[in-house]
Amino acid sequence: MVTDKEEVFSIQTIDLTKRFAKKKHRGIFGFLRRNQANNKHNGVTVALDKLNLSIRPGELFGLLGPNGSGKTTTIKCLSTILIPDEGTAIVNGFDTQKETAMVRASLGMVVGGERTLYWKLTARDNLTYFASLYKMQRSHAKKRIEELLETLQLADRADERLEDYSTGMRQKVAIARALLHDPPILLLDEPTLGLDPGFARQIRNQIKELSEKQGKTVLLTTHYMDEADQLCDRVAFINNGKIVAVDTPNRLKARVKEKEVVEITVYSPPADIEQYIRFLLPDAEVVKLIPGDEDEGDASRIKIIGGTPEQHIGTIIDALRQKKIRIGNLNVGVPTLEDVFIKLTGTKLTEGKT
Amino acid sequence: MEGAYQQSVLRSNLSVVWNEIVKNNKTLLAYPAILIFWAVFPIFWFIPFILQGEALVGGLQSANFAQITGSGEYIPFIVIGAVLNSYVNTLLYGMGENIRREAYQGTLDYVLAAPCNKAYVLIGKAISESVSSTIFAASQLTISVLLFGMNITLGVMLPVFFITVLLMLGLYGMSLMLAAFSLMYKQSYDLSQTIGYVFYIFAPVRYPTESLPGWAQIFGKLIPLTYALIIIRSFMLLGTDFSAVYTEVIALIIIDAILLLAGFYIFSWMEEKTKKSGTISHH
Repeated sequence: MVTDKEEVFSIQTIDLTKRFAKKKHRGIFGFLRRNQANNKHNGVTVALDKLNLSIRPGELFGLLGPNGSGKTTTIKCLSTILIPDEGTAIVNGFDTQKETAMVRASLGMVVGGERTLYWKLTARDNLTYFASLYKMQRSHAKKRIEELLETLQLADRADERLEDYSTGMRQKVAIARALLHDPPILLLDEPTLGLDPGFARQIRNQIKELSEKQGKTVLLTTHYMDEADQLCDRVAFINNGKIVAVDTPNRLKARVKEKEVVEITVYSPPADIEQYIRFLLPDAEVVKLIPGDEDEGDASRIKIIGGTPEQHIGTIIDALRQKKIRIGNLNVGVPTLEDVFIKLTGTKLTEGKT
Repeated sequence: MEGAYQQSVLRSNLSVVWNEIVKNNKTLLAYPAILIFWAVFPIFWFIPFILQGEALVGGLQSANFAQITGSGEYIPFIVIGAVLNSYVNTLLYGMGENIRREAYQGTLDYVLAAPCNKAYVLIGKAISESVSSTIFAASQLTISVLLFGMNITLGVMLPVFFITVLLMLGLYGMSLMLAAFSLMYKQSYDLSQTIGYVFYIFAPVRYPTESLPGWAQIFGKLIPLTYALIIIRSFMLLGTDFSAVYTEVIALIIIDAILLLAGFYIFSWMEEKTKKSGTISHH
């Protein structure tokens, strides 16, 4: 563990920086154009920009951000899959660049979900294989595998190939793999992504239990605001590789006052609707259109944060009607983590670089 | 962490190798068509050589061939060449492809993020590839005994096996380099095919070394397959023992050592490089 002014952390990053070179693809005859673009790299993407994080032992910590904000890069740097360009990452007291074997033994991770298993093998075969990579004694591994299969309700189908499993069941095997060697720290990257609500609930309960009953430190990245709100002790917002805010979900939500948030569900809004509402409500801090997939029955939403939007609801509704935009629903107040993120970054969580 | 580091280093390393072999072979056998390939292909493989021999010298015996090689039998000569060459094809292609497949299915990150020494994972992969090569080679030898009356004395098989293992060690070194290439560039198939053809031309697979021009013979001496073929043919066709070929055996061991050391070094270097560039997880 790392101590910082008497505080003890399971995970700590200090000015962690990771850059990726953007390669310019010039095709087979690209060398002929070398003189035009002497540098083979077309710039650099800063995935992590002096990232500082401190996660306490036993804490269930959420890392929230849009695609390309640096969530997965953070997890890959912590798990030693990527080597950072600058800065330090300490996991369970071990430096990720100097004590890699100890860091790896301290971690269990779920990154990339169900695709990261051997589909032609059974759940038991998968777990047996990974147990050997974690240097587990055969008899101990066998007992542990049985225990995990039982806990995750996979025992009945443990000897079937994963290709015959549902997405949710495969995700459970991925979680069992992360827990095999009973690590004190878990890195979970979007563990409920693509799962049906029933399986997602089971996985969330499992995560909560691992933190509360087994005292594991969990770093969870997710797109789902409700999930982070419901599970996490503390949440960090990450945007463009930087931490924008860290606090408990309640304290973060308190940064946006009630009645400071108006959300209007609309159908087929024109592209200039944001500018139009901004013109009507000049004191609003953020006006954001969150497009929905209307073919899938998912309407678009307009978020208005800051200022006094509740006093101008009549004006907004009249304006939308004038533009012949169909209104589905209108909510005032009760800010969510997404509202806070939008207010802090001007970006919604479902957008960003991919 | 309770389960980690609970057994001796040797045992845990052997367990990694064993479980890698089990995993690869279970995955391979999940595709039943491979069994048909193993059963049928070795028979088909012989037909062009028999027809070629008939057309060129009117049978499977040649006086000119005997003058160069010391044995007039054409079929046993090329059977040995083909069997050892099949190890080249499988091992050079197999390791790089295996790494590429792991990256594609997303399991490579998990293998690399585990605390075990990755060298043992690679050794397990290499041995897995050798198992299928050996099954294929055994089918070819069995067919040549049953259909073409090739004479194999059991006493010679132990030294032949020993030399085959030495050949495989050199090939493991090369396949590690190809796996490293696959880690960085996400494919090594074309390169392994090219190297396979270079071996096929400059090593005495289908013709004796003496048929090559002088410079090509010198180049051929850098290839481990050349020595393995000379030694094994000497054992099986001329009935010699180690004393007749000890210089070739020493040369093979030296080339193996160089290739293995270079292979492990290049793989570790490339792993580090891809972890820095971020291309390790790409596919």
